[in-house]
Amino acid sequence: MDMKKVHKRSKALVIRETVVSYIFLAPALFFFLGFVIVPMGMCLVTSFFNYTMTDFTFIGFDNYIRMFQDEVFLKALVNTFIIVGVSVPAVVIFSLWVGASIYKMKAFTRSFYRCIFYLPVVTGTVAVTVVWKWMFNKYTGLFNHVLLGAGIIDERINWLGDERFALACIILILFTTSIGQPIVLYIAALGNVDTSLLEAAEVDGATKLQTFWRITWPSIMPTTLYVLVITMINSFQCYALIQLLTSGGPNNATQTIMYYIYYQAFRLYDYGYGNAMGIFLAIIIAILSAIQFKVTNSGKVD
Amino acid sequence: MKKLIALLLACVMLLSLTACGGTGTAGGNDGDKDSKTEITLWTYPVGKFGDEATVKGFIEAFNAKYPDITVTVQYLDYTNGDSQVTAAIEGKKTPDIILEGPERLVSNWGAKGLMVDLADLWDDEALADISKTSEAVVAACKGADGKYYEYPFCMTTHTMAINYEVFEKAGALKYINEDRTWTVENFEKALKAVKDSGLVQVPAVVYCGGQGGDQGTRALAMNLYSAQFTNAEHNKWTMNSAEGIKGLQKLVDLKNAGLIDFDPAAVASDELQLFANGTIAMSFCWNAANQSSYASSVTFTPYPVAFPSEDGTPELCGGIWGFGIFDNGDDAKIEAAKKFIEFICDDAEQGPKSVVATGFFPVRSSYGNPYAGTADEERMAVFASFQQWLGDYYNVTLGWAEQRTAWWGMLQQINDGKDVTEAVNDYVDTCNKATEAASK
Amino acid sequence: MNKGVNKITPYKIFVIVVIAVLAVLFTFPLYWILTGSLKDPIAINAAVPQWWPLEPTLDNYVRLFEKPAFLWLMNTVFMAVMSMILTCITAALAGYALAKKRFIGQTLVFSLFVCAMALPKQVVLIPLLKEMAFLGLHDTIWAVILPTVGWPFGVFLMKQFSETIPSELLEAARIDGAGELKTFLTVVLPIIKPGIGALAIFTFITSWNEYFLQLIMLNSQEVLTISLGIAKLQAEMASDFGLIMAGAALAAVPIITVFLMFQKYFTQGITMGAVKG
Repeated sequence: MDMKKVHKRSKALVIRETVVSYIFLAPALFFFLGFVIVPMGMCLVTSFFNYTMTDFTFIGFDNYIRMFQDEVFLKALVNTFIIVGVSVPAVVIFSLWVGASIYKMKAFTRSFYRCIFYLPVVTGTVAVTVVWKWMFNKYTGLFNHVLLGAGIIDERINWLGDERFALACIILILFTTSIGQPIVLYIAALGNVDTSLLEAAEVDGATKLQTFWRITWPSIMPTTLYVLVITMINSFQCYALIQLLTSGGPNNATQTIMYYIYYQAFRLYDYGYGNAMGIFLAIIIAILSAIQFKVTNSGKVD
Repeated sequence: MKKLIALLLACVMLLSLTACGGTGTAGGNDGDKDSKTEITLWTYPVGKFGDEATVKGFIEAFNAKYPDITVTVQYLDYTNGDSQVTAAIEGKKTPDIILEGPERLVSNWGAKGLMVDLADLWDDEALADISKTSEAVVAACKGADGKYYEYPFCMTTHTMAINYEVFEKAGALKYINEDRTWTVENFEKALKAVKDSGLVQVPAVVYCGGQGGDQGTRALAMNLYSAQFTNAEHNKWTMNSAEGIKGLQKLVDLKNAGLIDFDPAAVASDELQLFANGTIAMSFCWNAANQSSYASSVTFTPYPVAFPSEDGTPELCGGIWGFGIFDNGDDAKIEAAKKFIEFICDDAEQGPKSVVATGFFPVRSSYGNPYAGTADEERMAVFASFQQWLGDYYNVTLGWAEQRTAWWGMLQQINDGKDVTEAVNDYVDTCNKATEAASK
Repeated sequence: MNKGVNKITPYKIFVIVVIAVLAVLFTFPLYWILTGSLKDPIAINAAVPQWWPLEPTLDNYVRLFEKPAFLWLMNTVFMAVMSMILTCITAALAGYALAKKRFIGQTLVFSLFVCAMALPKQVVLIPLLKEMAFLGLHDTIWAVILPTVGWPFGVFLMKQFSETIPSELLEAARIDGAGELKTFLTVVLPIIKPGIGALAIFTFITSWNEYFLQLIMLNSQEVLTISLGIAKLQAEMASDFGLIMAGAALAAVPIITVFLMFQKYFTQGITMGAVKG
C-alpha cells in the first residue's frame, strides 16, 4: 500500500515536472519546430519530387540515385569532408596550443594576443575575402610578391587557380576566420583549471604531459566540445568563401556540397535535387554531431 | 508559475504582433483603395541605372507626367542578383518591372511563363524604328512562343581594349588596322612584341573563373577562325565545329608559347583590374561603359579594338538591355508598369536621356546620336564604329545558365592540358542536354 | 611558475616567433582593409602594393555615406541584437530544463537538438523561403531572425552550462518555497550568466557575419544589411574596392564594441563549464 502511494506520488511528480519542463522549453521548441523542423520536413518531402520553377512531379528516389551518379556531387562530397576533416582538428589543436602558450603570459600581453586572434572574426566575410583574393593573386598578390622576393619560389604560383593549391587556400582562409573564438575560449578555460590539482600532480612527480592528459584535458573538455561544434558549423557552412573566390573551380577542385546545393537550386532552379543533397548532408551532419557529443561527453570526469 | 506563463504569453504575443506588423508594411497590396498605383522596379546595374541619384531623377520626371503611379526601386548586382530574383519568384514577391537583357528576361523568366507579353509596346512604329537599327535586336526580345518579353532601349557591342602606351612602346600598334580590326597573325605578332618589350608581366589573361564577363572569352575564341556559337535556330551549340576547335586550340598554343595566360582564379573584374593597373596589356572584356567607369583608375589610354579574326571581319557580341514585366496578376499594376516603360524608353525627352545614362547606344534609329554635342561624343564615336560588326544574339538559347558554367569548366580543362576536341565535345554535349531539357 | 617564465629555451623562442608571425598574418587583412579604405582608386589597385596610403583620402567614406550605409548598419544591429536576445532567452530556459529536470520525452527532445545543432541553414533554404513567403515575412528582417533563433546550438550550449548548477541549491530554493520562475531568476540565472554572455557574443557575431540567409530573404532597400550592402558594391565589371573596404571598416566597429563589452563574461564563461567537468 505504502509503496503504491509513493509510486503514485512520484508519478504525479513526474507529470508535474514534465509540464513545468515543457513550459520552459516552449519558446525554444516553438522556434525550433517552426523554423528548423518544419522546413526540414518540407525539404525531405520535396526531395522526392522533380521540383523546379515550373514543375512538381513525384519521382521517388530519382534525385538520390542521380546524386550518386553525379561526378560533381561526389567531388563536392569529398572536398567537403577534406575541409571539415582538416580544419576541425587543425583548429582544435592549434587553438589549444596558442591558448596554452599565451594564458600564462602577463595580463596585458594576453589581452593583446586575444584581440589579435579575434580580429579576423570581426571583419566581415566579404571584405576579408576581397583581401585574401588579392593576397593569392598570381600577378599582383602578396604571397607571390613575398615568396619571389625571398627567393623561395622562382615562378609565380596561381594559388586559387591551381587544382593543387586551391582547396588548401580555402582551408587556410577558413582556418584564420574560425580560430579566433577557440583561442579566446581556451585561454579562459586553461586559466581556470584548478591550480591545486596541477600542483598536487607536480608534487606527485607527474611529467608535464601526464599532468596535461590527466588533469588539464578533462577540465577543458566542455570547451573542446564547444570548439568542435562551432568549428564544424563554420566548416560545413563554408559557402561565401567559395562563391566569392573560386565558384567551385578550377575543375571543381573547390566544389563543396553547400555551394553545389546553391548552384543547383539558385542557378539552375533544380530545387528537388538541391533539397535531396541537403537532406543527405543533414543526415551526415546529424550523425557527426551525435558522435562528437557522445565521445566528448563520455570522456568527462564525474 | 503563473508569472512565467504570463511572460511567455507576452513574448509570443509580442512576436506575432511584430510579425503581423511586418506583413502589413511589406504586403502593401491594400493601398489599391486610393487611386495611387504602386509599382516596383528592380534594376541590374546597367550603366547609371545602378545609381540611385540618376534613377530617382528619372522617376521624378515620370511622376511629373503620371503623378498617380508610385515607383519603388531596388538595385541588384550581378553577383547576387539572380539568386535574389529566384528567391523573389519562389517567395511570390517579384517586382513589377525588371531591367536586364534577353538572356534573363526572354530565355529564362519569359520561357518559364513568368513574364507579361509586351506586344502592345512593340507597336508598328517601335518595330520599324528598332528593326532599322538591327533585326537581331527584335529577334532577341522575342521568346520562342512569339511573345515579346523585353522592351529594349539600349545596346552595345562588347570589344576588347589594349594599353595604347604599352603597344606604342613595344612597336605593336602597326599590327592593328585603321578600323581597329586585326588578323590572327598580327594579333600573335603583337603579343610577341608586347611580351618581348618586358613592359608587362604577361600580355593578356584568359579569365575563366566563372561568373560574368563570359562574352569576352566567347568572342575571343569564336572570332579567331569565325566559328558560330550556336546554330541559327538557337537550339544547338556549335563550338565543336572545326573553326571553334581551331580557335580554342590556338588559344592553348598561345598559352603554351607564353604569350597569354589562362587564369582559372580570375573573373572578368579581376582581369580588368590587372589591365587597369598595367599588369597586362589588354582586356577581353571591354565596352563603352567600362571605358568610362575605369577612366578614373587608369594611368594610360585604354584603346578599344575589335577581336582578332583570320578573315579580318569580326563578329562582335552584343548587349541589349531593356525592361520586362513580371506577371503578378494585377492588371492595374501591369498597365502602370507599361506606362513607366514607355516613358523611360519612348518619351521624346526622356528616351535619349535613359540611353545616355547607360553609356550605351539607342536601339531606336530615330534617336540618332544622343551623344552629339556632349563631352562624350568622341569616345562614343569609337564604340559606335563597332556596331557594324554586331553579330548574332545567341544568348537567348535555352539552357544558358548551364552553358555558362560548362564554358568556364571547359576553359579550365583545356588550360589543364585536356585535349581540346574532347573538352569541347563534352562541353557541347552538356549544353545540348541542358537545352533539350529546358525546351520540354 | 617563475622559473618557467625566466628560462629561455629554444622552444620558447620558437613559440614566440610562430605566434608573432601568425599574429601578423591574422591582423593583416584588417590592416589592409583600414588602409585600403583611405586609398584612391589608383592606389588601391596598384600593381606594386602600397603598404601605406601615401595620399590618404576620406573620399571612400564620403561616398559610402552617400549610400544608405547608416540604415544598413541600423538594420544589421537590429537583426543581430534581436537574434541575440531571443536566442539567449529561449536557450537559457530550455537549457536549464534539459539539464536539471527529468521529464517524459527528454531524451527525444535533446537528441533532436543535438542532431540539428550543426546543420547549415542553407540546407533548408528553399523550404524556409516558401515558409516565410507563406507567413508574409519574406523581405522583412524577421525572416532572418526567426531561423537564427530556431537553431538549437544555443539550447545545447546552455544545457551544458546548466549542468554545473548544484542541485542542492535548487533543492534549497524549493524548500524555501520559491516558485519555478523565482528559482530560475534568483538561483539559476546568476550561475549561468557567464554562459549567456558567451552565447550572446557567439549569436551576435554569427548573425552579423551571416550572408547567404540575408541574401535570400531580404530584397528591399529598407531592409538591407551591411553584408548585403557591401556585397552589392562588387559589380560584374568593376569592383569599387575603396568603397568595399570603407564599408567593411564601418561594419567592424559595432562588432568590436560588442566583443569588448562582453569580453569579461566570455572569458569567465567557460570556467563554469569546466568546474564540474
